Amino acid sequence: MQLLLLILLLMIVSARAGAEDFTFDESEIEKKLWHLGGYLEARPGLNLLDPDAAQTRLRYYGRHVDSTLADFNGKLLLEGSLEKDWAKLYLQPSLDYTNTRLNNYLRLSWYEAWLQAKPNEKIRLLAGKKSLKWGKGYAWTPVAFFDRPKDPDDPELNLEGYWLAMADYVQSFDGPLKTIAITPLILPRDHDLNSDFGTQDSINWGGKLYLLLYDTDIDLIIRGSGSRNAGYGLDFSRNLKTNFELHGELAWDVNHQRQVLTANGQPATVTGNAFSWLLGLRYLTEQDTTYIVEYYHNGTGYSKDEMEIFYRQIEQGWSAWQQNSNPTKLQLLGQNQTYKRPAVMRDYLYVRVSQKEPFDILYFTPAVTTIANLQDQSLSLSPELLYTGITNLELRLKGTAIIGSSLSEFGEKPNDARIELRLRWYF
Amino acid sequence: MRIAGIVVLALLLALPAYALDGQQLLKQIDRNLNPESYESYRKLINIEPDGKRKEFTLYTVKKGTDKVASLFLAPASDKGRTTLRLGENMWLLIPNVGKPVRITSLQSVVGGIFNNSDILQLDYNAEYNVEKVEEKGNDYLLHLKAKNRTVAYDRVRILADKAKMLPRLIECLTEAGMLIKTLHFKDIKNFGGILRPATVETDSPLYKGYKSVMLYAKLKKRSFKDELFTLNGMGSIDSLR
Repeated sequence: MQLLLLILLLMIVSARAGAEDFTFDESEIEKKLWHLGGYLEARPGLNLLDPDAAQTRLRYYGRHVDSTLADFNGKLLLEGSLEKDWAKLYLQPSLDYTNTRLNNYLRLSWYEAWLQAKPNEKIRLLAGKKSLKWGKGYAWTPVAFFDRPKDPDDPELNLEGYWLAMADYVQSFDGPLKTIAITPLILPRDHDLNSDFGTQDSINWGGKLYLLLYDTDIDLIIRGSGSRNAGYGLDFSRNLKTNFELHGELAWDVNHQRQVLTANGQPATVTGNAFSWLLGLRYLTEQDTTYIVEYYHNGTGYSKDEMEIFYRQIEQGWSAWQQNSNPTKLQLLGQNQTYKRPAVMRDYLYVRVSQKEPFDILYFTPAVTTIANLQDQSLSLSPELLYTGITNLELRLKGTAIIGSSLSEFGEKPNDARIELRLRWYF
Repeated sequence: MRIAGIVVLALLLALPAYALDGQQLLKQIDRNLNPESYESYRKLINIEPDGKRKEFTLYTVKKGTDKVASLFLAPASDKGRTTLRLGENMWLLIPNVGKPVRITSLQSVVGGIFNNSDILQLDYNAEYNVEKVEEKGNDYLLHLKAKNRTVAYDRVRILADKAKMLPRLIECLTEAGMLIKTLHFKDIKNFGGILRPATVETDSPLYKGYKSVMLYAKLKKRSFKDELFTLNGMGSIDSLR
């Protein structure tokens, strides 16, 4: 009898365990007039310095630094919107905290702040600060004429936009041409507004023509001559199969001006047409491995010889500093930003391999990324582990190793290696 | 004479079975599942073997046979993500990334058993030809073959209730006939005159012990402009709610 009761009890318990309560409360989908969200991020890192690298000498001369250097970055990114009928206000401020050997600061930036009017499905008018993110490339986007450059080391990061006014007109069709969209814009520049967009004050203009033609996304982009020289761009993206996407970009910078250092260390300007292009793919295997591969030719980049001149100038500056404590040359070279931008040279290969949920661990994605400079055979190699299994919490552990000889781009970076943990809580 | 009459009657009764138009049946099943153009809310629940869950809430709009878009409403980490499908073209807009990127149908934006084509499901009739229809008691068993190689599952088997013309079970298979996943349709509810399953449970032999559940709410017929289903329109899906 006791055994019978026990079996009965077990059956009831197991029945309860098996009864699944799936609910879908309508309050979960109620729309509000406003929205407030964002994320809070903590990003501690540890760097293994290369004391002999040119960039280390340029950055840390006159300071004592240990071979391992910790840093901490924090970020509060807020997104707020207010929407009523055809009007929408969107604000995206970012509060960034940085604590490194050189800096310790808190900075508030407005990534985006715009007002949009959308009287119907075909027309949109927008004015304010906006990050457009044009282009099809993942790591690089040479046709993004009105955006700040991406960081190929973390291409999915939010970027600060520019103040502009733009419009969109969209028309759909049946047939091979499914969509056409026209996006003209103006972007004013003076010493208070968009001051890092080129060098001359001007009301800049440009635009984009988008076509979905024969199942291919095609953009034709133009930047009128103004604060920057004129530019013309073309990009495309197409799914060749259910698991294979191909994309590319071509950008023509008319009469592009490059600031270079001559062999004797004097600044000079080289003017000429610059053609940049990119070809990339995304490929998903049956084992859920995703490959992202991009080749990038940067027509505005420096040649191997030009970069070696820059590094040799740093060596000379370093010698002058060591011999007579004269920092003038290093200070001048340190102010030169064009040699320190991402993808500073001409030919790059980006390869990212990520594996979705290996060993049946849901929401776990390990990946490895390499960015290789094909001119000087130097590269960075970054393995990472990403876990998103806890609702609204994202954990990423990322390491980076630098491989490159002396006078190569990656070989002269300040770190030999870096490890970083990123915790991001969404709300 | 009586026997001959019975035989003739039996043949006449059997006639509709031989005259079954599989494609027409499939169209009927599609229409009973959803109106051709509609909006709906869905909750996706991924359940791990230890009972741990992760939930996503989506708002979905569909127009005609080849246009569908979904906006993620929850969790906060995914809010604002928008997926668009225009025929075999698929894009994902991640608010942080800011621009729509092309995705492929076999990828998954939510992890777990559901892939992108499950979330952005078009009419079966638009993607599959019916190769064979079998009668199994109170059900039809439809054997479908993908119309082209861009469709996520090469073969699909639909077991549909004859009376309600709604699926009870759908099996998704590879070209070689290997089972990828099974969808179980449950809990028939009335969505303002549309009588359809409100719960779809999915399991897969490739994910042993895992289960995904899709719950439907507020499904209703609605018409939309074509321009909504464009890259420029992706950022405006929320304004429809």
